[in-house]
Amino acid sequence: MVKEIEVEPVTRLEGHGGLRIVIDDDGKVKDAQFNISSTRFFEKFCEGRYCEHVPRITPRICGICPIPHHLTPTKAVEDAWGIKIPEPAYKLRQLLQNAKQYSSHVLHFYALAAPDFLLGPFADPALRNVVHVITKMPDVGAMALKMMDFGQKLCAEIGGKSVHPISAIVGGMKKPMDEDARDKFLKQVDEQIEFTKKTVEIGLKVVEDYWDVVANVGVVPTYYVGMTKNGVHDIYDGDIRIVTPDGKKIDYDVHDYLDALGEHIPDHSYATHMYYKPAGYPEGIYRANCLAMTNAADKMATPLADEALKAMKAKIGEVSHHTFAYHWARIIETVEAIELIKKYLEDPDIVNPDCKTLDVEPREGVGVGVTEAPRGLLLYNIWSDAEGICKKLNLLVATNHNIAGIEKTLMHVAKQVFEDKALDGLKLPDPWIK
Amino acid sequence: MAVKVAFMQCSDCWGCHQSLLNAHLGLLPILPALDIVYWPAVVDFKYDSLKARPEGDILVGFVEGSLRTNEDVESAKLMRQKCQLIISFGSCSCYGNVHGLANFWDIQEVINRKFKDAESITNKDTAGEPKEHMPGFTSKIVPLDEVIKVDAYIAGCPPKPEAIISAVTFLLGQKPQPKADLAFCNDCVLRESGCLLEKGTLCFGPITSIGCSLKCTNDGKPCVGCLGPSTTVDIRVNKLGEMVKNIDSLSSGDKKNLYEFLALFLNVPLMAGFDLAGDILKQIKHSGTPQTPLADMPSDTINIASSIMTYLRDHREFLEISNVCDTCPRIINSKSQMTRVKRDYEGLPNMDDCFIEQGYLCAGPITKAGCGGLCIRVNSPCSGCFGQTEWNVDQAERFAEIATKGFNVALSKDELLSQIKDKIGFAEKFTLAANKNYR
Repeated sequence: MVKEIEVEPVTRLEGHGGLRIVIDDDGKVKDAQFNISSTRFFEKFCEGRYCEHVPRITPRICGICPIPHHLTPTKAVEDAWGIKIPEPAYKLRQLLQNAKQYSSHVLHFYALAAPDFLLGPFADPALRNVVHVITKMPDVGAMALKMMDFGQKLCAEIGGKSVHPISAIVGGMKKPMDEDARDKFLKQVDEQIEFTKKTVEIGLKVVEDYWDVVANVGVVPTYYVGMTKNGVHDIYDGDIRIVTPDGKKIDYDVHDYLDALGEHIPDHSYATHMYYKPAGYPEGIYRANCLAMTNAADKMATPLADEALKAMKAKIGEVSHHTFAYHWARIIETVEAIELIKKYLEDPDIVNPDCKTLDVEPREGVGVGVTEAPRGLLLYNIWSDAEGICKKLNLLVATNHNIAGIEKTLMHVAKQVFEDKALDGLKLPDPWIK
Repeated sequence: MAVKVAFMQCSDCWGCHQSLLNAHLGLLPILPALDIVYWPAVVDFKYDSLKARPEGDILVGFVEGSLRTNEDVESAKLMRQKCQLIISFGSCSCYGNVHGLANFWDIQEVINRKFKDAESITNKDTAGEPKEHMPGFTSKIVPLDEVIKVDAYIAGCPPKPEAIISAVTFLLGQKPQPKADLAFCNDCVLRESGCLLEKGTLCFGPITSIGCSLKCTNDGKPCVGCLGPSTTVDIRVNKLGEMVKNIDSLSSGDKKNLYEFLALFLNVPLMAGFDLAGDILKQIKHSGTPQTPLADMPSDTINIASSIMTYLRDHREFLEISNVCDTCPRIINSKSQMTRVKRDYEGLPNMDDCFIEQGYLCAGPITKAGCGGLCIRVNSPCSGCFGQTEWNVDQAERFAEIATKGFNVALSKDELLSQIKDKIGFAEKFTLAANKNYR
């Protein structure tokens, strides 16, 4: 008998998705689908808007990562109009982007992912959530909340609002940081670095505890897409970098994105399937996000993070296909984020009022803006008319870059679980929370 | 005992959840009071577990997101069945949010842009709207309350964390505690001569606790009830009772005081974009929650509070009397004057003068208060995410009307309007789906 397993909805996820696995009567996995059942058509309704208003609309694409969705379209319009921004604005944006990276990665690790590891994969679903983690591990819970709070408050300070920021404008930033606020955050940053080190310890312990899972479940060779600046990990500024399954790195100028990134419209998901165009579909299916970024980067931008990257690569290879190593890579990126936050908070430019190019004129043109959002590469391609009205918009958003890769991984894991009974022999630790 | 709550997410961005989580440590005290039975963003209960619950099993249901897919509509209806109170949570479910801008086009045109015509699509020959296991799209987005009955609204994109927390505590039956035996009147400088109530001005002294250090009546202003109820009431409670029976005829100043009274005295989280539609108090009582917001108060006070709450339920427009300008620190009638409409990228506005007077488009005068002016603080004009102060009219025209009358603007209404190239994007960004003019 054909058996269909449905998970509806996938929980602890931003957005709407379900899983469907079809197992044939001979016990073979016939199909594995990741069905994303919601989309909202920003590409269309941004048409006719003032180009400079697009960055005030698009943050609503993602409430966890609204900052990249504010900065990236701003960069795209600046590209279309040929506008350069002052150095203080560049640094404020880097700080803002990293503040978001920090709070989002901490949220992902503690609120979305950790319940699986701390309670174990077979815990009661009613308890497998962050609320229970906070109750049972109040110290860790309070630390996680303080970390998210720091990141979100810093986003709100610079962005105006942490969810759906408004302070970036074509030509720079509307306002520098206030000195008092800067001092307040500077006072807290060392404590945050300590919290991050503690998180690294917890993360490494989880990796060690679950090593059998990390090393054996969901190890799926794919392509990767990320962003680097001259080979160095960067989440605000740089070129697109593709990594092939065997570790070859190929750089693309953002304007040539159509040479590298193909979009296949599947029939079973509103989120589309992205792949590396020269390799074809489905062979060229890639993954994005933190592991893709650490695969792409020759080095991290800061010392502690770079040390951590080297340690990870020594353990799992220069290019890692270990899906569970995403959590590890995310922690390395968290370390870099807090180090960069400190670096930029110490830079006097962030309180410099020269943060906006005053002379901005629209012109007819096509612009591309790219950043690395917490869930992956984020690309805005905008067409402006001579008056600066948005004529057309093409979006390749972060989570979307992962959908095909997730489905490919799902198929792989479904075969491991249902055909090879791979879970039976797995070594699992005693849960931290019983 | 913990109260059952559920969160349903329709098509949106997760930002309302993020905003709730932004309360961070502020969440810890309320979590034990909540039994979260459905919240896919955070906990692992599946859709079937919600379906299996008896009707009305859940006390409070938060429904957020736009109704963009048929699945969204179904989920909203399911929540209505399972929850005693439904809160329309965030500007997506209240007004459709930016997604409602898509209503401007035929849905097929919208679908084609994403699934057929996007520049990056490589399988153009087979591409089109995905159909397998997919729910399909609604032809137009409408606000949640056009599909199911809604009991309360929390607007904002996103709603403020403190608004959500205060709404939850209010709904869980938090009650104002009487602080003193005697009423404010006993200590009022206007008691013997010049009583505001006697002169026909709304004053809540007769039901408010005595003992505040800065008495408003010392400056000739009425008491708005900051200290909460007193155990006994003053004789002039009769006069107050008469006045609140006829709220429509109150002056606009009295109405603003009434608004403050609701927030300060009854702890109704109105100032944060919260507003009541259904018979919430009755339903909370019906559900057996032990404490209603009105318990333990003198019967005269309860009667006055009930009249006001009932009025509020039937007159949602009452909550729209304050706009963002009322809470904006910038100077109106400043040294700046609008002589032409500027675009946001031009120059850099100064931090002191009204944006409109500096030439920029700011939706403050047509937008409901409640946000705390966060955008303005970082030198960005209001874009209207808390919703309109008046509905079903041409909002760009309404803006031009107000701007040319009450602000230092050298343009005529028509000149101003003609210089706004994207009227809908400016004035209806968050509310197009709720504006019946565009149906």
